[in-house]
Amino acid sequence: MSNTTVLPSRPGAGTPGKEKDVPRRRPGPTVGKYISVGLLVLGAIGMIAPFLWMFTTSLRDASQAYDLPPQWLPTELDWSNYADAVSGPVPILKNMFNSAVIAIAVSIGMIITAPMAGYAFAKLEFPGRNSIFVGLLSSLMVPAQVTIIPLFLLMRAFGLLDNPLSLILPGITGALGVFLLRQFFLGLPQEIIDAARMDGATAWQTYRLIALPLAKNAVSTLGVITFLGSWNAYFAPSIFLNSTDTATLPLGLVLMLGPYGAGNVAQVMAATTIAIAPALIVFLVAQRWIIASLTQSAVKG
Amino acid sequence: MTLTAPKTQLPPAPPSGRGGRPGRLTATRRREALTGYLFTAPTIIGFLVFVLGPLVAAIYLSLTKYNILTAPKFVGFDNYARMFRDERLATTYGNTVLYVGAAVVLINGFALLFAVLINQRLPRALTYVFRSAYFFPYLVALVYVSIIWQALFQKDTGILNYYITALGGERIDWLNSSEFSKVSVIIVDTWRNVGFAMLIFVAALQEVPKDMVEAARMDGANEWQVFRRITLPMISQATFFNITITIIGAFQIYESIIVLTRGGPGDASRSVVMYIAEVAFNKFDMGYASAIAVTLFLIIMLVTMVQFRLRKSWVNNE
Repeated sequence: MSNTTVLPSRPGAGTPGKEKDVPRRRPGPTVGKYISVGLLVLGAIGMIAPFLWMFTTSLRDASQAYDLPPQWLPTELDWSNYADAVSGPVPILKNMFNSAVIAIAVSIGMIITAPMAGYAFAKLEFPGRNSIFVGLLSSLMVPAQVTIIPLFLLMRAFGLLDNPLSLILPGITGALGVFLLRQFFLGLPQEIIDAARMDGATAWQTYRLIALPLAKNAVSTLGVITFLGSWNAYFAPSIFLNSTDTATLPLGLVLMLGPYGAGNVAQVMAATTIAIAPALIVFLVAQRWIIASLTQSAVKG
Repeated sequence: MTLTAPKTQLPPAPPSGRGGRPGRLTATRRREALTGYLFTAPTIIGFLVFVLGPLVAAIYLSLTKYNILTAPKFVGFDNYARMFRDERLATTYGNTVLYVGAAVVLINGFALLFAVLINQRLPRALTYVFRSAYFFPYLVALVYVSIIWQALFQKDTGILNYYITALGGERIDWLNSSEFSKVSVIIVDTWRNVGFAMLIFVAALQEVPKDMVEAARMDGANEWQVFRRITLPMISQATFFNITITIIGAFQIYESIIVLTRGGPGDASRSVVMYIAEVAFNKFDMGYASAIAVTLFLIIMLVTMVQFRLRKSWVNNE
């Protein structure tokens, strides 16, 4: 689905013929335009300022962390807070590793199971197909808080509490991914499938060699979304994991922050900067995909 | 988002295919059905074990008294009756409803404003920068942005109060006063989610037919009339989606409260979800916690259903 519609990146991009009607020399920007750009700039500053403050504070000595008036640009590049944050009492590198293991395992599982199911729901006939799909889809409406207590009891019964498997197992399948991929495969011309079948390919071969490679973009998007979702998760980890050694990064950081923000703020900001880095990288690399795939379902209805 | 799959055509029987015996078609069909079940098996098993099973279990547990150490004891609807006498539950529900209301109004209001502004003819690079800046907080874990805001909200050392006093205002006790602790939670929630809702609006705005807007202007409609009579109805699909998502999201606010205020002072900023976690995992009152969780689920479902019912009356379906 992600390669069928790409979000036009500038207003008016959807109507190419329109440009011609507009006189080349337009009247200069109006007052209204200045005001609206001003508002947009203000809003953008409000969005970015907290991250800027985080970064500059991470480069300052803890004693100056709360200096007022606040300094927005780094005056020195003192990376010692990063070293201290890493070697501090909270093993944030270990926590980061735990987060990465869980997020990678969950993403790999999801990009294996969801496209298979999505393909079956879109292209294979089997009794009960539609009712199963609708049932599956309705699970999107079940909030995590309802199932968390039985899940906790289940993991406890399996002896999986405080074990990354308690987060990986429930994460490797999910309705959202199936829905995304089914949408993609529905758009795939049936002739391609039929041709492969007529050439004697089995259903598995058709899927693996024909359909799946075509779904590359949709699968990558699903992988990124799943990774970020798991990397950012707090609620379930906070309940299933209870030792600092198994904790994921968000749990470690909350521990580091301490009650009522009593921790060393410069070190906490250094650690938070480290924690945010993957989101920043994913953002820089995959922004277009993510935006396109996130906005499509809403607009197309 | 149609739920009914278009009928897929069964591939015609191969002219000189495998087997070639009579009844080949049914064999193909059967093989295809088997493949379908195999392909969907992991997902279906995951759904049964990790969603449907726990959902049924939660409903059963809500009818019991269960403290983990001894077997669940069936008590009928006692837990549900108990909810009506629980003042803390009333407080946390009150807070949650406030968060939901604030999210619907503020997130969507700001998102629509910024979307309209960003959707005018601006240099391409500028549009890109704005879109990125507004969207980035959404990609960062709520825990991390809450950690940053926790520092900004500090009463004596925080930047927010510095600027407020510099402008001649009074220091605000953002995290420890019963009113402002709620406001802080709302600010962080709005700030983080506005970019996502904005992107949805921008995508919808770009689908609004330009000639329809031009025609209306030609007929003498002013900007507000164009917006009210053409733009708003044309993007109602996106508005519906955004409102539904913000309602469901705001009912589940959790991490930001943990980091910012720990629910305090007292229960002043505590949400229902936090209360459920406390009853279940600090007090090990699993039956009662399940009853609250099931009720929350029913309320979210009810609100969503009402939303979908009302949808017909204001969402333009082309």
